[in-house]
Amino acid sequence: MSGEARRFILGRALSIARKEVRHLSRDRVTLAMALGVPVGLVILFGYVLDYDVKRVGLLVIDRDQTRVSRSLVDVFAAADYFSPLALPPGATPLGRLEEGRAKAVLFIEPGFARATAKAQPARAQIVIDGSDNQTTSVIASYLSGLQNAASRSLVPDTGPPQARLRTRFLFNPELNSRWFVVTGLFVVVLGMVSVLLTALTVAREWETGSMERLLSTPVRPLEIIIGKLAPYMALCLGAVGLTYGAARLWFGIPFNGSHGTFLLACVLFLTCTLAQGLLISVVTRQQQLAMQFSNLTGLLPATLLSGFVFPIESMPVFFRYLTVLLPARWFVVACRGIFLKGAGIADLALPLGALAVLGVGLVALAVKKFKTDVEP
Amino acid sequence: MTALTLAVADVHKQFRGATALAGAALRIEPGTLHGLIGPDGAGKTTLLRTLVGLLHPDRGTVVYQQDGRDVPLLVARPFIAYMPQQQSLYPDLSIQEHLEFFRDLYQIEYEAFAARARRLLRLTRLEDFKDRSAGHLSGGMYKKLGLMCALLPTPAALLLDEPTNGVDPISRREFWDLLYTLRDDGIAILIATAYMDEAERCDTVHLMEGGRIWSAGAPRRILAEEGASHFAELFVRRAAAGA
Repeated sequence: MSGEARRFILGRALSIARKEVRHLSRDRVTLAMALGVPVGLVILFGYVLDYDVKRVGLLVIDRDQTRVSRSLVDVFAAADYFSPLALPPGATPLGRLEEGRAKAVLFIEPGFARATAKAQPARAQIVIDGSDNQTTSVIASYLSGLQNAASRSLVPDTGPPQARLRTRFLFNPELNSRWFVVTGLFVVVLGMVSVLLTALTVAREWETGSMERLLSTPVRPLEIIIGKLAPYMALCLGAVGLTYGAARLWFGIPFNGSHGTFLLACVLFLTCTLAQGLLISVVTRQQQLAMQFSNLTGLLPATLLSGFVFPIESMPVFFRYLTVLLPARWFVVACRGIFLKGAGIADLALPLGALAVLGVGLVALAVKKFKTDVEP
Repeated sequence: MTALTLAVADVHKQFRGATALAGAALRIEPGTLHGLIGPDGAGKTTLLRTLVGLLHPDRGTVVYQQDGRDVPLLVARPFIAYMPQQQSLYPDLSIQEHLEFFRDLYQIEYEAFAARARRLLRLTRLEDFKDRSAGHLSGGMYKKLGLMCALLPTPAALLLDEPTNGVDPISRREFWDLLYTLRDDGIAILIATAYMDEAERCDTVHLMEGGRIWSAGAPRRILAEEGASHFAELFVRRAAAGA
């Protein structure tokens, strides 16, 4: 009898799960948050967080005024990256940069055409607004490419063909930053919402008093944890489906991997985040506090330390090791691998294994921390 | 049916230096209805929570005897039904859904459940409201639903913490009629209440104050011994003497 009272009974876990389903089916706000918010945020931030810089205002100061100097300007105009601007009367180049009406200034010095005709070094200078180093870095990378294009179009080809180094980018040939951003956003948004969903569920039972009655029944902590995890897992997988659809259909993100591997990665990641929410709920026992904790431990680390925004390789050593404990860090690797590289289970053994270990650990911790009494 | 006896002896409990229980002792036998009577803050809820295992005493013993044998709480718990003082039901779930939830928690066979649910709905006169959500029940109906959930697994002991608070007089009388029926079925019942008039309805009362039970016995005998006409008078007299 004692053994029976201690052991895990699936029927009791299912009764908790069925109750949660009934709550969820009547709680439109939670349903909307779980299903609508991830899709909405991925679409919204998929547009906002675009690292590609296009049609940069390029102020052109052409002091040579020749066909050759105009050809140089055409090289910049031909690429979609720059939008050449003329200097209005009375304005100064520095003033235009200060006002933010231009991001860069192209100065072409007198004698530019003459020098190129003689295959001598021709002088042109580009000044870039360095106040926004994100944009500046992107502009600088464009310029190095355009410099080669300009040299080829302006300087006559006099010698035999020389060896040329060609760079090809695998998995994202056009370096479309949206592919990179949306797959990362997928992780951050899903992690944030799933932690919040379960962070409230146990705390709510403590606040409303139903936990006191529940604890006086034979139900065990593991049965409560599993019973609460299961419906939210199903709900979050629904959100995964909708967000996946938005990424593929709205943004045209390629999916080169296996759907089975992707599903496995999602289940492992959601086990981690849902268990993390339950752990917060179990420890805080207050909805307000649980919400603050879930934002602090869910959203911020997932955004800043997952590798979504800042490369993990460039973080200080302590933070590099700290990221090992973050489920989002491993799911970012898995998601980008599956979506863009077509990685399989064998390729993703490390991130999937890490997610499995973290998931089991978080569930075990939530069960261990689950109070079976009402001691303060 | 399982017979369960609950007993506490010299139980002490403090919360951050404040004394909640100071040597409380009582024994509840099967088929008896006991009242735990005392003003707010007397320690009634702490004692009930200690009996059901939700609080652990700092000192003293809690004993569970099942069919004459001492058993641990884990074994006794499925046979103890507890109804907390605060609202503890789910406002969006209907009466029927609450019963189904507790059926699954206690792993009750479907046929046994159907028969018990029918009987409880009839006893509580909630048959016509079984699809109504708990959040839309009157105070009396809500308490009855709480009692039904507690009684569904056919417990051997029933612990009720102020179950008639905020309930109208007619519903209170119905509630007590229901408790007498359950006592006659052999259930050991302990009801904590701050309503002094309810004390006289019990077989045995335990008068509690300051975390200690200062008198226990049949209500009429206690009143006769103390020379009081009702229990409120006893507590008022005691408070005046203390002051």
